[in-house]
Amino acid sequence: MANRTDPSAKNIRGTNPQNLIEKIVRTKIYNNTYWKEQCFGLTAETLVDKAMELDHIGGTFGGNRKPTPFMCLVMKMLQIQPEKEIVIEFIKNDDYKYVRVLGAFYLRITGSDTDVYQYLEPLYNDYRKLRSKLADGRFSLTHVDELIDELLTKDYSCDIAMPRIKKRWTLESIGLLEPRKSALEEDFEEEEEKEENDQLNGLDDEVHDKEYYRGRSPERERDRDRRRDRDRYRDRDYDREYDRDRDYDRERGRGRERDRNRDRDRDRDRYRLRDEKDYGRDRDRDREWDGRERERRDRDRGRRRSHSRSRSRSREHKDREGGDHRKRHARSISPRRRDGPDDGTREEPRKKKEKKEKKADGTDHPDPEIAEANRLRASLGLKPLNV
Amino acid sequence: MIEVVLNDRLGKKVKVKCNEDDTIGDLKKLVAAQTGTRADKIRIQKWYNVYKDHITLRDYEVHDGMGLELYYN
Repeated sequence: MANRTDPSAKNIRGTNPQNLIEKIVRTKIYNNTYWKEQCFGLTAETLVDKAMELDHIGGTFGGNRKPTPFMCLVMKMLQIQPEKEIVIEFIKNDDYKYVRVLGAFYLRITGSDTDVYQYLEPLYNDYRKLRSKLADGRFSLTHVDELIDELLTKDYSCDIAMPRIKKRWTLESIGLLEPRKSALEEDFEEEEEKEENDQLNGLDDEVHDKEYYRGRSPERERDRDRRRDRDRYRDRDYDREYDRDRDYDRERGRGRERDRNRDRDRDRDRYRLRDEKDYGRDRDRDREWDGRERERRDRDRGRRRSHSRSRSRSREHKDREGGDHRKRHARSISPRRRDGPDDGTREEPRKKKEKKEKKADGTDHPDPEIAEANRLRASLGLKPLNV
Repeated sequence: MIEVVLNDRLGKKVKVKCNEDDTIGDLKKLVAAQTGTRADKIRIQKWYNVYKDHITLRDYEVHDGMGLELYYN
């Protein structure tokens, strides 16, 4: 039987090594021509030759989910289970990047947690390009370090589920691993020193510093040209940077464990804390603001009508059709004066913005099922249901 | 808004509310959220026609209450 695992192979994670790949994908690989023709009777040595011929990585593609040769070779390695030394040789070799990536992938699936971090992290320094086949059959560009990052942080890659490994800081706290030393650490220290010197020289003032820190994100820190960018951030598009930072924080919140793993700079921690504080504060502020808007709208509706006849008439008409009915039933019209004299100029944009918010989301639909469905759709990035 | 029923004949029967101008890809995401499978592992068919991700439900003439077959990749 050609698809049987080598009888001398050990169990990996409690099961036949080939079972690390799911049943459906496994069946697809067994039925694949490349597997049947090229991967029959391969040994560790001949496998290297096949691996050197690889020219792209990828998962399954096409309408009937054909596997790539890369996946077939991974499967072959699982079947014959080469020695750990051989796999490490694959990773250490510098000439053939696809052999390296193949070894890294195999180690990620089969290796112990310590081994994974130990052998895969040096590969972060490899910046070479890789050709990656996407699910629809097209090729895209990626890099070796991007792929390694995917292996270490995501739990799915090339249509194969990655086994769970312990987080880096867990291993560090147990003492099995050293804290991460980045190859760029020296460069960071240089930058730090330069900045400190500048501060001492009084080139920056207090306000400027705060804006600069807020606008920063770890990606930009890694960029060595931050000094050049500094003035640009300060002057224009302050709000835009701020919004982008907020989104980034939200993202980063999810991947925070990853950041802790890559804990490089104490400065970065300082910035992050500051940014997170700002983010929380801003959200509360916005929520208050929205509540106050709605009350103001109710109050202003009466006042608006008296102002200009033609405009208000058309607006009344529009209101009466859709939103107004609902509003009248849902909330009392009695004015609640929380604010002082209202700002005539700020009314219009606020009213428009609130209207847009109500319509866009749809999560406050009276029918709870539809509201729930809309919430799910919003989280997936889809438009709300048009009831 | 239409409601589509997806059945995989192995015990998973899922009712999903969606718009007619949603694509099949969006429908797969909604189904994935409800069943717990990954969206790219799902295949939606009608007899032997595998429905493609970028085409809308309206173009496939999927109406309210219609049943689709759920398979896995």
